Amino acid sequence: MIQRSWKIGGIALLAYVFWTTFTVPLGPGLLEFRDRNEAASTDWITKRIETYELIGLGTHWTVQPEELRLFIRKGDQITPLPVIDVIDDTHAHAALLLPDTLPSKAWDVLINHPIDGTLFLQNGLFVEGFVVDESAQLPRPQFEERSADLPHHFPFQPRIFETIRNLMLHVPMWFTMFLLMGIAFVASIHQLSKGADGSSLFDLRAEASVQVGMVFGVLGLLTGSLWARYTWGAWWVDDPQLNGALVTVLVYAGYLILRGSVEDERLKARLAAVYNLFAFVILMILLMVLPRFTESLHPGKGGNPGFNSYDLDSSLRAVFYPAVLGWMLLGTWMYRIRLQATRLNQKLHRLNDE
Amino acid sequence: MFHTLLQVNPIEGFFFGSGKSMVVGGVAVIIIVGLGLWMWRMEKRIQRLDDTATRQTKSSNESAEA
Amino acid sequence: MSALSNIRFLLQHAIRVELRNRHGIAGLLVFAVAAVYTCYQATGTHAEQESWNALAWVVLLFAGFNAVSKPWADDDEGVRAFLIHAIQPQHWLIARTLYYMVLLGTVSTVTFAAFMLFMGMDHLSGWTAGHYYAGVMLTSTALASLLAMIQALASRAGGGFSLIAVLGLPLIIPVILVSTRYGSDLMRGIAFGDTAHHLLFLATLSAGFFALGYILFPYLWRD
Repeated sequence: MIQRSWKIGGIALLAYVFWTTFTVPLGPGLLEFRDRNEAASTDWITKRIETYELIGLGTHWTVQPEELRLFIRKGDQITPLPVIDVIDDTHAHAALLLPDTLPSKAWDVLINHPIDGTLFLQNGLFVEGFVVDESAQLPRPQFEERSADLPHHFPFQPRIFETIRNLMLHVPMWFTMFLLMGIAFVASIHQLSKGADGSSLFDLRAEASVQVGMVFGVLGLLTGSLWARYTWGAWWVDDPQLNGALVTVLVYAGYLILRGSVEDERLKARLAAVYNLFAFVILMILLMVLPRFTESLHPGKGGNPGFNSYDLDSSLRAVFYPAVLGWMLLGTWMYRIRLQATRLNQKLHRLNDE
Repeated sequence: MFHTLLQVNPIEGFFFGSGKSMVVGGVAVIIIVGLGLWMWRMEKRIQRLDDTATRQTKSSNESAEA
Repeated sequence: MSALSNIRFLLQHAIRVELRNRHGIAGLLVFAVAAVYTCYQATGTHAEQESWNALAWVVLLFAGFNAVSKPWADDDEGVRAFLIHAIQPQHWLIARTLYYMVLLGTVSTVTFAAFMLFMGMDHLSGWTAGHYYAGVMLTSTALASLLAMIQALASRAGGGFSLIAVLGLPLIIPVILVSTRYGSDLMRGIAFGDTAHHLLFLATLSAGFFALGYILFPYLWRD
């Protein structure tokens, strides 16, 4: 019964994950806050009342347009900007009405709206022609963050947009691969410590889990490559995480080739176990140490404005954790089938020999 | 850079507005359930073959002893 | 015999065998010089900074790989069967690693000297060349400690050159990654002190490779 339920559970989790991944809409967000004046004016008086265009994605500004509030923020300084006109759901005009002396040139742009909630565009405004004095204080308006009044949706991330759905595919692939490689690692230790009598029981386990793990590794590379094309603009970028992933896949390809080139079963079991332990430990060291040497584009590291750890909000977590569990269950199941098939193969060979 | 994204936006709006996303989600779910059924059947078949092989090994061992 | 004299005996023996067969070492040097000369033909002495760095490491890597991947003179089963009873496997690994360090150090030095001679040293001046050379030597140490183990594994598996490449190259990539970054840092005029942590990392990697090999080698060695 337990046998049956975890397999069905894994598939059910993945069905839920796929369904929500593709059907939950993306939340609203801000794309750009830009100067509307095509020709830059040299007259500094008109410069003070430049109008700016605010562009959103998936926003609902025509609903209650009078409630749309625009702020700019630097550190703990917040000041409002008047919204002149709401063109449509995603476009609005605002005036850059500011005092002559400002504490900073670069500002974050904030939007408050009853439906979209508080939206945020980091470093969205860069003003010029103002006196910058860091001690300048601006009048502080009433500002409180609002939450969105929208049905269940995924959070908007700059640059990532709709591809945030890939989170449910790409990241669990790597987790599953490491789970399977971990199984192979433990099996190899057992093979070396207990397999002295020449039985290759544990070796078969290591082989099966590496084979299935390779499938997940290659899928992880493919989904990652697609994602990198969209967010970073290239199919492959120089990034410690990517180097580590590539080295991992190559190392395990080497492991499978090593297995293929040894005839004697006992020797094969031992050599493969030695190489597996050697490679796994080195990989672990590399994956933990190498990323510290260089900047990474990946989330939670320097150089990536997109994702931070706090961006994994509850709507994502509700899908992401089931995704990780579901893929791991599926991977384990695939590993067990693969192992059974290998054992059956061995048995049939023995029958043939007799 | 943003202009291209704005061109993409209406397509994404259409994608979610017209219920196309439901189709994609449905197909993905059918694929994963199909994969599950396929693996289930394969496991059963391997199990059956395994039992047969074990029986044959036993009987051949007995005949060898006899 | 004590451990030390065992190791010294094995090391001396390996070097003597190598020197007796001069074609072997001459072949390595010809390979290295030919590779350097090919680069020179392609770029002249005007290679850009980044290309210079890339070519230097590619040539050094493959010259080194070529050096260790030829079959070991003692690798036939008879000698191994005798050595299994005569010495501890760890001593054998230590001797082999030391021998590879000497061999790779020599080959890298000659290759690097030839490279500087042909490709010019516009990008490296004075002390920088010395620092670059230190990187080269530490890289060949890391290669030696990794490939000693991989070469033993491949020869036990009965595979030839291709198996060493398949098993060794993926694990070499991180070493090369660090070395190339160190080299390009030096060329861009970054102070030695600010990039020396790469050297430390290379040394740590060598130690790690060796420690792992030390633990696992007995399983590989016995029957």
